Amino acid sequence: MHHEEPFKDRNVSENSAYYYVDIEAYPETGWDKFKQVVKRTFSGELFVGLWVVLREMIKFDIHTVQYPKEKLPIGPRYRAVHKLLRLWESGYERCIGCGLCEKICISDCIRMDTRIDENSRKEVTEYSINLGRCIFCGYCAEVCPELAIVHGPRYENASEQRAHFVIKDDMLTPLDLLKAGEQAEYPGFGAIIPGSDASVKKTPLAY
Amino acid sequence: MINFTINGQPVTAAKGETILQAARKAGFYIPTMCYLEKTTPCASCRLCVVETDKTDGLILSCQTPPTEGLAVTIDSENLKAERTNIMRLYDVNHPLECGVCDKSGACDLQNKTLEFGVDRQHFSAKEQHRKIEHWGLINYDPSLCILCEKCVHVCNEIIGDDAITLQFGGYKSSVVPKNSDTLDCTFCGECIAVCPVGALVSSDFQYSANAWELIQIPATCAHCSAGCSLTYEVRHTSNSVGGKSKIYRVTNDFEHATLCGAGRFGFDFGVEGTKAENELSRAVDAIKGAEAIRFGSMITNEEALILQKLKQKLGIKLYNEEARLYQAFMNAYASISGKTAFGGTLDAIRQSEGIILLGGRVATDNPAVRYAMTTAARHNGAKIVYMHPLEDALMQNVVTQFVKYEVGTEEGVMAMLAKTLLEGADLSDEAKAYFDDLDEGYLCAESNVGDEEFARIAKAMKRAKCKTLIVGADVFGHKRASSIAKLCAMVETYTEFSLVVVAPSVNTVGVSLICDLSQDSEGKSVVGYNAPGDFVMGSSSGADLKLPALNSQEGTFVSIDHQVLPTNVAVAYEGYTLNDVACALGVEARYTIDYTAQLPREKGFSAKAFDDLGNFFGPLGEDLRGYLLENVDAEANGKLEPVEDLPEFNGTVVYRCNPVNQFNACTAQSRQLEKDTALHGSAQFAAAAKIADGDKVRIEFKGNIEERTFVLDSELKGTVALVPTFDTAFGGLMDGYRFEKVKIMSMGSES
Repeated sequence: MHHEEPFKDRNVSENSAYYYVDIEAYPETGWDKFKQVVKRTFSGELFVGLWVVLREMIKFDIHTVQYPKEKLPIGPRYRAVHKLLRLWESGYERCIGCGLCEKICISDCIRMDTRIDENSRKEVTEYSINLGRCIFCGYCAEVCPELAIVHGPRYENASEQRAHFVIKDDMLTPLDLLKAGEQAEYPGFGAIIPGSDASVKKTPLAY
Repeated sequence: MINFTINGQPVTAAKGETILQAARKAGFYIPTMCYLEKTTPCASCRLCVVETDKTDGLILSCQTPPTEGLAVTIDSENLKAERTNIMRLYDVNHPLECGVCDKSGACDLQNKTLEFGVDRQHFSAKEQHRKIEHWGLINYDPSLCILCEKCVHVCNEIIGDDAITLQFGGYKSSVVPKNSDTLDCTFCGECIAVCPVGALVSSDFQYSANAWELIQIPATCAHCSAGCSLTYEVRHTSNSVGGKSKIYRVTNDFEHATLCGAGRFGFDFGVEGTKAENELSRAVDAIKGAEAIRFGSMITNEEALILQKLKQKLGIKLYNEEARLYQAFMNAYASISGKTAFGGTLDAIRQSEGIILLGGRVATDNPAVRYAMTTAARHNGAKIVYMHPLEDALMQNVVTQFVKYEVGTEEGVMAMLAKTLLEGADLSDEAKAYFDDLDEGYLCAESNVGDEEFARIAKAMKRAKCKTLIVGADVFGHKRASSIAKLCAMVETYTEFSLVVVAPSVNTVGVSLICDLSQDSEGKSVVGYNAPGDFVMGSSSGADLKLPALNSQEGTFVSIDHQVLPTNVAVAYEGYTLNDVACALGVEARYTIDYTAQLPREKGFSAKAFDDLGNFFGPLGEDLRGYLLENVDAEANGKLEPVEDLPEFNGTVVYRCNPVNQFNACTAQSRQLEKDTALHGSAQFAAAAKIADGDKVRIEFKGNIEERTFVLDSELKGTVALVPTFDTAFGGLMDGYRFEKVKIMSMGSES
């Protein structure tokens, strides 16, 4: 059965806050148009605007952010250029090289190389993200089981080339910053759900 | 047939079948962890327990045959609880490293843990520190090991290396090398394949990629004539190395097939090519002006057909000594047996209770034949007679009678063997007279094989039900090859023996069927295709025109089972192919595989298109790969040839024979496979040749001089030394007889 939706009065009821804007009729004759131009030119609206600018200028209370010298804080859930984090205690890389981010990436922009290191552990030797392809969807951060890859606050992506890569060294927290306690944890995509400690089950151990 | 019921439904089992096998055939699911179809049951996991109406308690379905009228229950609440508890025990302290484990995503333990819903650890045990073992190509992590024993069974029963064993110690049990500190085996890697968890892994592959991100490309092994099925697993590489696809590892359907180390670890061969038009036109000019094309048998049927068409169109000759000798051998065989193909297969060897092997070092020539012989020995208690001038340490485990004959006396030995086996057979008068006229005294004396040894063979073979005669690659190049072939045909025609002829290279059989080959002679201009020539095309780095190797080609091979097997492109090739060269010469086809359906029908090929060929095993192990060649009858107009005087090989003799896991230039390129290029000989040989261990020597044979290092090998006896051929330009095993009298010159010790 065909159902006709009453488009015209959708969401608009008698007592809603909506009202019709009072719009003057468009000028129709040439003489009317001429009159409108003269009225708009000489009514002094221009000077109202100029006055506002002048008044704000001499008050020296300017709110303009001086980008790029100044930057606005970014919300923690903002998804900008990725960061690779380290473990707080040991300083080891959190990334275990499981390859899930590479696999889940819908724009196929993550590439990594892993190998077995001297201690028979998995080591990530190469890690790159092609920012030219990345759509900053956040899947990589969400899938990461180790909270290793996260979206950081760096949103400037201007580059001379279309293919613009970040590699592991660019993303990994430098050790000195980590020691200085300056590695930021991001409560954004992929972070542990608050209160998840409570759902951890203990494994019975013999000692 | 035994009739019984599973969950109330009627099921029949063949004699000797277990409840598990019958259940699987009937489509019932019984979970297992340690069951491997090709070995005897390990019976270690106890997951396959079932209940019956005639027994108290639970029985293991993997090792119990059903009795008539038995009522089996495979999925009661009680069984589920039992199985869940087993899974809980398996999971105790199993390291939670699935995120990095190589097996993750293809892990039996993961699958079964999820299946039985084990989401927490119910039992506790003290965690122990266990050292990860590095055994060359194989790494073993005992903390991941679930002690299913599959690896031990496959190593012992199928491969025959018997290199690993289970060290019992309760919770501390682990897999250890047998009688050795480190793993000393042929590195077939089958233990890696069967390992249900990530305990046994390839050290080269470990942690380089994940099982679930690899693209699997079913193919056929390109190294020997067994035509084993394998899967190339490829993935992109990282940006820093170009991001192109690469083969990360090779796996196989271990449940139904077996793969040797060369197939498993020797996958990284071939060259990169570009479409350089001047190179192509130079190749075209070279072929136009050539007298012949010389080519190796590492070639697909389709390309062999292209060469045959080029021969017809341009009137050039085709040289391939190895395939030509094989062809001549099989023609002689056909002239007696009346059929072009021998009757035996690898599976026939596996089923055999009596096996005679003559004239070949199969353990290294064709490991699949060795594995089939091992299986026969372990599963059927087969009597195995190994006839060769040299003992092979790899075969010691399975051989029941070693018959050593003098080098060059194959014809005499074969004649005596045929006489022994044909005793009492219904022969024509002519054939009877032939065998009666044999000068036994002379043959036995010259070949150094006594009457009593043949009597022992006759006795051992008498009781065997299913029997196979295997003829190795030594005989093709023998001066009296056709006589030997006819004697083999006699044995196959008039006795219960089936014959298996071990072709030397991956597609020797195919080439011998498709191409009209001419005897190789030093022509004035020869184009080589993966073979030496004045202009060389092929997949070596020195080739004038680079063409894709077999892991970058699609096409088919003919295995020694006479099965036409498809192989696929694992890594894309960007340069030209032989088809491009042929197109430029007027033999046109869009793709190489357009020729698959055009392979000669009169030789037994069928008109199936490449894309219609399967390349997999069915769930019950049905071989659905490619198709079998049809039997083609031949005219049986041949006559047995009188045995000629047996030749003598005195002084220093070398035997062309490759070390384990080496076959050809492709395996020689592979980074993981050991490249032992040394001349191996006994102390007696060293004395005869006046050389010492570690000496650099020059060997002169067939006018070529090779430099080798001499290694004294305590496993060898006599005055025959082993010289590898895989590293010589495109070294064939048999450009002529494999034994050769050579001059050996010492160049002094290496240091």
